[in-house]
Amino acid sequence: MSLLNVQGVTKDFGGLRANYDISFSVEEGEIVGLIGPNGAGKTTLFNCIAGYFPVTSGQIFFEGKDITLLKDFEIARLGLARTFQVYGASGDLNVLENVMVGAFLKTASRNQALELSRKIMAFMGIEAQANSLMTEIPVAAQKRVTLATALATEPKMILLDEVAAGLNPSEIEGLISLLKKINQEKKVTLLLTEHVMELVMRLSKRVVVLESGRKIAEGDPQEVIKNEQVIRAYLGESFLKRTSEQV
Amino acid sequence: MEAIKNAFDFSDFPRLDRTFAGLVALFLIGFPLFPHSSFAMATMIQFLMFSVYGMGWNTIGGYGGQVDLGKAQYVGIGAYTTAVLLIRWDIPFWFSMPLGLLLSVGWSFIIGYPLFRLKGHYFAIATIATSLVLKDIFEIWTFVGAARGLEISPIKYKPPDFYRLIFREDVYYYYIILGIFFVALFYMNWFRKSRLGFQLRSIKDNEDSARSLGIDVHWAKIKTYAVATAFVSVVGSFHACYIKNIEPEDTMSLDISVLIALMAMLGGAGSLWGPIIGAAILIPLKSYLKEWLGASAGLVGIDLIIYSTIIMLVAAFEPRGIWGIVEKIRRKRRKGL
Amino acid sequence: MEILLSALVSGLLLGMVLAIVALGLTIIFGVMDMVNFAHGEYLMIGMYAGLLTAQVTGMDPLFSLPVAAGIGFLLGLLCYYGLAKFLLRGPMVAQLLGTFGLMLFLRNLALLLMGSEDRAIHKGILVGKSFEVGMGVVLPATKLAAALLAVIAFVGIWLIMNRTKIGKALTATALNAEGARYMGIQTEWMNALAWGLGGATATLAGALLVNFWSVNPFVGLLFTMIAFTIVALGGFGSVPGAFFAGLVVGTITEFPGIWDSLTYTFQIKWMEQVPMTSFKYTLVYLAYFLIMVLRPRGLFGWKQ
Repeated sequence: MSLLNVQGVTKDFGGLRANYDISFSVEEGEIVGLIGPNGAGKTTLFNCIAGYFPVTSGQIFFEGKDITLLKDFEIARLGLARTFQVYGASGDLNVLENVMVGAFLKTASRNQALELSRKIMAFMGIEAQANSLMTEIPVAAQKRVTLATALATEPKMILLDEVAAGLNPSEIEGLISLLKKINQEKKVTLLLTEHVMELVMRLSKRVVVLESGRKIAEGDPQEVIKNEQVIRAYLGESFLKRTSEQV
Repeated sequence: MEAIKNAFDFSDFPRLDRTFAGLVALFLIGFPLFPHSSFAMATMIQFLMFSVYGMGWNTIGGYGGQVDLGKAQYVGIGAYTTAVLLIRWDIPFWFSMPLGLLLSVGWSFIIGYPLFRLKGHYFAIATIATSLVLKDIFEIWTFVGAARGLEISPIKYKPPDFYRLIFREDVYYYYIILGIFFVALFYMNWFRKSRLGFQLRSIKDNEDSARSLGIDVHWAKIKTYAVATAFVSVVGSFHACYIKNIEPEDTMSLDISVLIALMAMLGGAGSLWGPIIGAAILIPLKSYLKEWLGASAGLVGIDLIIYSTIIMLVAAFEPRGIWGIVEKIRRKRRKGL
Repeated sequence: MEILLSALVSGLLLGMVLAIVALGLTIIFGVMDMVNFAHGEYLMIGMYAGLLTAQVTGMDPLFSLPVAAGIGFLLGLLCYYGLAKFLLRGPMVAQLLGTFGLMLFLRNLALLLMGSEDRAIHKGILVGKSFEVGMGVVLPATKLAAALLAVIAFVGIWLIMNRTKIGKALTATALNAEGARYMGIQTEWMNALAWGLGGATATLAGALLVNFWSVNPFVGLLFTMIAFTIVALGGFGSVPGAFFAGLVVGTITEFPGIWDSLTYTFQIKWMEQVPMTSFKYTLVYLAYFLIMVLRPRGLFGWKQ
């Protein structure tokens, strides 16, 4: 039984069809990448899986349970966490408090939440920033905090929405090893959507490619990028013609 | 057990704060023993009452960021329940207060469910609407005395009466409200460290994020609103026994709702000390302004003009309140600036 | 039957005037997403302006409209540059409390300067006259004139918003402030203008209202709440919405008349007991609550 099973998901916004009949699955322990050009519908799909939007049709199963109609916080409680891209001016909570919010999902005790949070922050390498506000730390650290918070909910799977956005090459390097660590040591399955190809290629066991709302390819990263349709989707028809003429 | 320990644990505040708070606490406990005017005593009682109102508001309004401008209706429910039960059926405070509490909290759940589907300004205005509706109802409801209100005449009872909370000297009232004040304070100390407290702060920060962490936002807000209501209702019941003369215009007006919110904001919404600081400033200010300026012939309204100017200044320039300023300074100092 | 019709017509007429009050609020809200608690106070000031102009100059109160509108415009600008501008930077609680402070300030200033007694207009071309419109419906001339002028004012503002450059600039800022800024429209000036326009419409409505409604320093809050309800019903930001919603809410305030006529027609005893008149405004508040819970977008609104 797959950990996550997406079947025939279609999502309409009024007249616009953002996702059309998308199906794929994610096995436990895998890292799967969801890629595609801008506007392909990746974030929409994410939001549907996480329960943030209701789907227009189709079904989603998590651990064999039908979660299609569940609300986002109910899905989070089942062990499917997600991260958000937006970093607002989080005035109030410092880093430790942020992580504790996550920890409080599984425990009502402040002491336990505190302990759990400290452990996770150590794991993520951010204990030094415990008392800083989000606005006081660099972007790369903010991402670690968001990841730590999601981890604190003790999820079985995390949906990562463009987690590498805005990072420089060495930070991306760090993120890659961190995500590997999370996957292997904490046994968390990851589904990530990304524009930063390097991250997806090196981390993912499999990738799923979306274009204009549909799934156009799926498989091993190295093979998928050679797929004609994928090249056409990203780089356009003329580039495809040129490359095939060169051969 | 852990909860009790958390309630009394102030160790996350710097030594300076704890010492200062300790001194203030001593002052509050010992105040009646020093020579004081009856005006000062009345002001102190008001200060304590409004501190508790403010602390209650602070849960949903400060930590939760949901600006509730309709708390006065619960003052009314608490006050009227106690008053009516005493006048008609001679039921003592210690029974009527919990009953009023039950009614208030019940009502808060009923309107809370639809109320919290709204956000921002719409929510705020809706809270005003509900409070005004209730006030209007009380103003024509003969059972509770309509617009003239109810009066508890102390002559009927023999003070000091600890069951019905009827006393001749203010000092009894003072210590009772002081007790309520401390209970409220310790509860808030627990609250800000509790799961619900953290959930609210996360909600205030970003609701979508909060939900992605498994928080049932709607329900958390409703629960907290009920907590805030509880604080207000208890003091409302006290209010009835202390003032002994209640009418809708005094107890349930929009002005009271706003004053409560204002206090917490001035002192620092979302902080433990905020509402107390706010009350410590606004209540004496309001009282003394009224004493000196309000009553002077031909100058009706000047006290409120000054008062409202202060509101505007604070709102425009320091919305994080006094405690916000304190924290800002401390942060800067810590970073070595 | 006549009572029913009279009540309905009265409500509609009142509604047209109320719609103007709401109009100002919806403009401010549309342009800068800010709620002005002091809105009703502008109306109150407009009422006094209308009253005093009539008394001092001896002109008919209906001619005081431009004066009132002018005062309102200036007052709006003043409040923007003096307060609202700063409130915009802060959190919402600050905005709400800040404009609430403004409300208290204006109300007590009026109390200080004008005293607390009710005042009404007693002289004028139309005062005391009424038209009979058939079916036993009697319309006070003042109400009728006020309603007509309200409609004219409404159309005028609608034209300004949609046909003039400034109006379009305002609408643009309302829809997307940043985008408008890139087009060269100065948000700051648009905000101030919104407040000026908001103030002017409110005082204008006040000057109209005072012809058949007496004024004292405390009427502000009631009208603020009525305005909020209208704006919520019509949809925050919608000009035509404000008009139709105004009519509806105006009719709601005449509900006691409808209630009475139904009680009388159907001879229902218990209905007689209910003091509906005291409930007039409660119904308005209740309406706000129900609208927001059941249909937050209102009838025509595009902002939620």
